[in-house]
Order: sequence, then C-alpha cells, then structure tokens
Amino acid sequence: MSDAGDILTVSGLSVAYGASRALFDIDMRVRRGEVVGCVGRNGAGKTTLLKSIAGFLKPSSGSIECDGKSLLGLPAYAIAGMGLKYVPQDKRVFSDLTVRENLELGSYASRDYDWTPVISYFPKLKSLMDRKAGYLSGGERQMLMIGRAILGRPSLMLVDEPTEGLAPSIVLQLKEVFRELSKTTTLVIVEQNLPLVCAIADRVYALNEGRIMAELRERADVTPESCERYL
Amino acid sequence: MVDLQLLFSSVVFGFSLGSIYFLLSIGLSLCFGLMRIISLDQLLYYSIGAYFAYSVGVLVDNFWLGVACGMAIGGLAGLAVERLVFLRIYERDITFSMITSFGILIGGIGVIKLFWGVVPRPVPVPIETQVSILDTEISVYRLVVIAIAGLVYVGILLFLNRTIIGKAIRAGIEDVEHVEGLGINVYRLFSITFIMAGALSALAGALHAPLIMVDPQMGLEVLAFAFMIVIIGGLGSIKGTLVSSLLVGQIVSIGSLIYAPLALMAPFAAMIVILLYRPTGLYGSPLLKR
Amino acid sequence: MGILRWWSGLLLAFGLVAVLRMFVPLPFANEIMIFSIYTIGCNFLLGRVGLISFGQPAYLAVGAYAAAFYFYYYGTNPYVGILLGIAAGILVSLVVGPLFVRLRSDYFALVNLALAVIIFFLMQKVLANITHGDNGLWFLTSLSSTPVLDLTRPNQFFVFALLVGFAVWAFYKYLDDTVYGACCLGTKINEDKLRFLGYDSFRIRLLAFVIANTTTALAGAMYAVYLGFVSPEITSPARAADPVVVTILGGVGTLYGPLVGAIAYTGMKDVLSKALGNWELIIGFLLVFIMLAGERGIWGTLEPRLVGLWSSLWRRRSPAEGREM
Repeated sequence: MSDAGDILTVSGLSVAYGASRALFDIDMRVRRGEVVGCVGRNGAGKTTLLKSIAGFLKPSSGSIECDGKSLLGLPAYAIAGMGLKYVPQDKRVFSDLTVRENLELGSYASRDYDWTPVISYFPKLKSLMDRKAGYLSGGERQMLMIGRAILGRPSLMLVDEPTEGLAPSIVLQLKEVFRELSKTTTLVIVEQNLPLVCAIADRVYALNEGRIMAELRERADVTPESCERYL
Repeated sequence: MVDLQLLFSSVVFGFSLGSIYFLLSIGLSLCFGLMRIISLDQLLYYSIGAYFAYSVGVLVDNFWLGVACGMAIGGLAGLAVERLVFLRIYERDITFSMITSFGILIGGIGVIKLFWGVVPRPVPVPIETQVSILDTEISVYRLVVIAIAGLVYVGILLFLNRTIIGKAIRAGIEDVEHVEGLGINVYRLFSITFIMAGALSALAGALHAPLIMVDPQMGLEVLAFAFMIVIIGGLGSIKGTLVSSLLVGQIVSIGSLIYAPLALMAPFAAMIVILLYRPTGLYGSPLLKR
Repeated sequence: MGILRWWSGLLLAFGLVAVLRMFVPLPFANEIMIFSIYTIGCNFLLGRVGLISFGQPAYLAVGAYAAAFYFYYYGTNPYVGILLGIAAGILVSLVVGPLFVRLRSDYFALVNLALAVIIFFLMQKVLANITHGDNGLWFLTSLSSTPVLDLTRPNQFFVFALLVGFAVWAFYKYLDDTVYGACCLGTKINEDKLRFLGYDSFRIRLLAFVIANTTTALAGAMYAVYLGFVSPEITSPARAADPVVVTILGGVGTLYGPLVGAIAYTGMKDVLSKALGNWELIIGFLLVFIMLAGERGIWGTLEPRLVGLWSSLWRRRSPAEGREM
C-alpha cells in the first residue's frame, strides 16, 4: 500500500472506548510535504484519530505506519521522539511554568535548543518569556503550543483544532504560520473552521460518525461548500 | 499559666515531629501529584529506614551510616515496587492503587517480621548533647532533625525549579499526558519520583527511630497521620505538605501539654474543620478531576 | 416462577452456609456470618457507588459501643441492644455523611480512616472513665435470655445471625433491582451524566453511605452481643483494611462476594496463620496478587463459570427453559 512518498499510512484503523467504538476501518495516507485537512462535526472521531496516531490510544485493529515503521504499541513519547508531534486541542500549556520553562521542556524532549525559528514565527513570545503560561491569552497559549512543537523540526505535525475559540486576527496569523510551516514539514490539521482548512490544505478528509465519508483529492475540489456536503 | 520553658521545648518538639511527618508525607504527596496514585507503601519504606538505622547501628555502631543505608534501600525498594507493581496499574482508578499499595504495606510488614521478629527494638540517640536556649534544655538531635528537613525542603524546591527533570515533574503534575506528547519519557520521571519518595520516607523512619521504638507496626501507626497531613495540605502540593506537617506537629505537641489524650485527636478534628472549609485541603488544586 | 428464581440464589447460598455449619466449629460459623454482614456495606460502597472506605471499623465500633453502653449501664435485652446499634449507625452516618460524601473519592477514603482513628482514641483515652479504656466493657453474664431465639446461646445466635444475614442479603439484592440501585451505579460510572438526567448525586451517595454504614453498625452490635465485651481494639487502625481485603478477596460488587470472602478470609486466617505464623505476609501479597490478576476476587471469578455451567446443564435438559435464561 505505502509508497516512497508516504510519510504516514493508516489502514483499517478501528478504535473503541470500552464497548463503544469511535473509529471504524479508517484508511488514510499522507504524503511528505502535504497539508492534509480533516473536517467533521463534534464527535466525528477526529481527535480520536489524531490521538491514536500519536500513541495515546490503543487501536483495536488496523495499522499505522510512519516512514514504513509501524507505530503500533510504541509509547507516545517514542512516537514524538521520531519527529511526529501532536498539538492537542485544549490549549493546555503548563500553567504553573513560565513560557521559557515550557520551551525548555520542548527543547529537552527534542534536543533542539535553537529557539530562533520559534521567535521568528511568534515574535510576541519573546516579550512573554518570564510570564507564567497560566496567565497567557488563548492565542498566546496556542502560539506557545505550536512553538514548543516545532522545536526539533518535526517531520509531521498533527494539529488538533488550533483556531477554536480564537480571535479572527490571531486565526489569520496562524494561517500564515501554517503556510510557512508547510514548506518544511508535513501537516495534518483537524479543524471546524472550513474556510481556513480549505485555504491551506492540499487534500481534505471528511469524517462522520467514526468513518471517512469522503476524500477531496484535487486542490480545486477543496472548498468550504464541497466539504459542507459531507458533514 | 503555662510554663514558658515548657512551652518553648514543646514548640521545638513539635517542629521536630513535624519535620519527620514532612519527610514521610512528601513521598505520598509527590506520587499523587505526578502519577495520580496513592502510594501507601511509602509507610513501608519508613519502617525499612528505621530498621536499617537500627541494624547498621548495631553492626558498625554508626547511626548516620544506618540512615544512609536505609535511604538507599528505601529508594531501591521504591524503584522495585514501582517497576513490578505500579507500572501495571498507572492506567487504573485511584482506589486501585490505594488497595494495591495497602497490600504491599501489609505484606512488607510480614517481611519485616520475618527478618526482625515482632519485638520492638530501641535505637540509641546519636547525639545526646543538650543545649540551653532561653534557659531551656533542648536536645541537639531534635534540632538536627529540623535542620535536615529544612535542607530537604530547599533541595526539593531547587530540584523542581532549577533542573530540567524537576521542571518536567512540575509539568507532569499539571498534565502528564501532555509531557509525554512532547517526547519526554514519563516513565523515567515516574521511576525517579519513586526513588526520591522511597528514600525520603526511609529518611523519615531512620530519623524517627531514636525517638520511638522500632517495631513492625510502626508504619501503620503513623499511617493515619500521614493521611491526615496530605489531606490538610492538599494532595500533590509540596508547600501544603510542609505547612500541614508543621501544623500537625505543633498540634500534637502543644495539645499534649494541655491535655494528653487530646493530642492524638486534635489533628483529626482540625482536619475535619479544614475539609469543611476547603474540601481539597489548604493548597490542593480543585481542578484535579479523577 | 420469577419470584422463585429471585429467591432461589439467596436460599441456596444461605442453605449452603447452614450446611457448612455442620462441618466447622460454631465460633467459626458465627464469625463468618458477622464478618460477611460487616463486609457487605463496604462491598456496596466500593462496587456500586465507587467509594472506597478504609474507615469501616469506625461504624463497626459505633454499633458495638452503642450496644455495649446499653448492656453495661442500662439494660440486658440483646435485641434492644442490636436495635440501638442500628439506630446509632444511622445517626452517626447522617451526621458525618453530608460532609464526607461531598469529597473526592481519594479524600473520602482517607477521611473515613481518620474517623476510625478518632473513634479509637475517643474510646481508648478520652472517654476512658466510661469505656474502661483498653480493658473494654464486659457484660457477657449480664445479658438476659430471650424467648424464641436465645442470643446468649452461641448455637441459637448462629440461627439468628443466619436469618439476619438472609434479610440483609435480600435487602441488598432488592436494592440492585431498583431504580435507586441503577442510580448508584450511575454515580460510579458517570456522575455528570447522572446529574444531567436530573438526579441529585449527593443524595444518592448520602443514602448509600447511610445504608452501608448502618449495616456495618448492625454487625458491630452483633459482635457486642456475641462476644459479650467490646474494646477499642475493634476500631484499631491496624484492622482498618479487613473489610476492604475481604471485599476484594470475595469480588467487588458481586452479591455473594462478601460471604465467600468472609469464609475464605476467616478460614485462611485460622489455618494459614497457625501454620505459618505470618498472617500479614500472606494477606498482603494475596491482595496485591488479586489486584494485579484482574481484581475480580474469588466469587467474581467463580460466578460466571458456575452460571455458565448451570445454564449449559439446564439447556441440555430442556431447551425451551434454557432460551428464556
């Protein structure tokens, strides 16, 4: 199934929480350098999908491969160590730690102590270094989360609802950041904000009730209207 | 009118008792904070520390070497239990760890009985000097105990605030899944925390040994106090643990000055009052769900 | 038919205990009955409401001392003493319950243990001139004989204990079938959802707390009558884990778990501690083993197999009946 251009191959993936199944037989491929969007309503299984890839949930069947290596059974920290970073949705920075300490942890985990890319993407963080992350605004937290994740130059980033609840100006800024990022890494973005996804994604998967309903392959097909049809 | 000298020596007594309680409860509190488990087996390491202080003291006649041995064995025992038992149950509900660790505590008491028998053992006080402060004779050993606890507190704060492992542990106390998501091996953090907790509990037991008799049930006897201290302070808070240990130490000490039977009950009454006012203790975070 | 089936398990279980009585010494049989009544409250709290209490001895002592004070200072009728024990259990649970059931489950466990210690010190030291401290209150000879079932005779006491046990089990079985029983499970599994459905989880927990602890107090009062003396030892912190251990041993949340657990625990204590002399070692590692092996306990493991065996036997004889099951 997988070919040389694929960085991530998910096939036949099913996930269950106890007795209730959340994902059914998901097939998904991500090519190196792509930006893949993932849309769906609340409860469609988008977060479950990302969490299973990142190693936080144990699939009941199916396979997940990254660069030809199976990720099944690996602990989440090992998967992150392979350059596959998950940015969770609830904007939970370590609120008791300062911004600097948050970044230090990112550096420690990925052994990348060069913060210049982070600062160039998010100049604002520079002035907030000694502030406790708990006192940051939602937008600033998201900047910190993404900034922390790009340390170590991940080859694939899984971003979960990055713009949820953020001000429009910050959403615009994030859109530019994702555009920039996509030049150097592969991105999988889960979003409810269809115009944003369609502006940056090369391909879009539409999820509903734990199944992939459609895959919009062509750049021309990726429009909010076409996504809407599958939701 | 209470005798001022008596009151002063009671306060010192209370601080030394509080110091031992602090060393004992810090492990319980740290393990809860980072791993969300209630590790009652810490009270076993407390007994282990005391027994090694006794045995090494008998063998080579050096109390402090016994303390060091006890801490080493306590830390190793903590690591072994973590690897063998807790590693399998981190995912489970908190009551699960409580019951399992209680089993370890009881089983460990059985092991201690196997090696040392049931007869209580006395440990000689290593420093018998008394100093006179404000016309009151104070045992130097008690002051040393207080100083050691103070050093440990400062050491833990420095470790948590200045080292990267410490920062990772602080971050993990907030959200351990998130720390793992960054690519940090949290299981190593867990082991480090367990070794620390076990060694500190053993230190508490070793330092307490000369002040009481060493017997197999000693862990169970302080169990209720350790519980109470982490409840009053708030599970998972280091500052809260310090404040409530010293508070409980003073309540026990000054309470016994007023009316002896009250001394053992007053802390529990204090705990009930504090829980009425704050259901998660003085410094406990109300946000922690589970 | 349905009614018969409802009662059949209970009748079978207690019939077996009555048969067991013929093979074991009387004190052992009495101990089992009281112990299992003591444990069912803990089992209910842990298995049905998800609250673990390391402080059950506190409520045992409440029942025991309520009965003991009556026997020592006021009267002689054992039945009155037992009723007083129950009343004291209800009273104490209603006083401490509203505070305790608000707490998170971890704090709940710790705070109950603390209560057990308070009561221990209260009885041992603070009220020593009433309770005679560690010496305890002795009243075995002052209990009066009663008509029909004379509780001062151990063999008639066993019949009484068997009947009480039967009633208690029928009550808990009935609870499981009611909407209230379902609500209890709801607070254990997903408290928020239960609240959204419009149930008050605080009141559900409080009622469960009162029911469980009153049962425990009943066991305490029965101990008082049976042993004829009560001392603070009954609530010593070292024994705090007994009901939890028996609950786990028998099988958490199973109806007959406490009964099976009490038999196994008392039996092991009797046989193994005599043979090996190191009771803690055995019980401690057994507890860890059961928890790691899936925490289902003895009855929790046996029950599905027995049910499977039973229904397969039944199906072979009459297929129509088998389908109905």
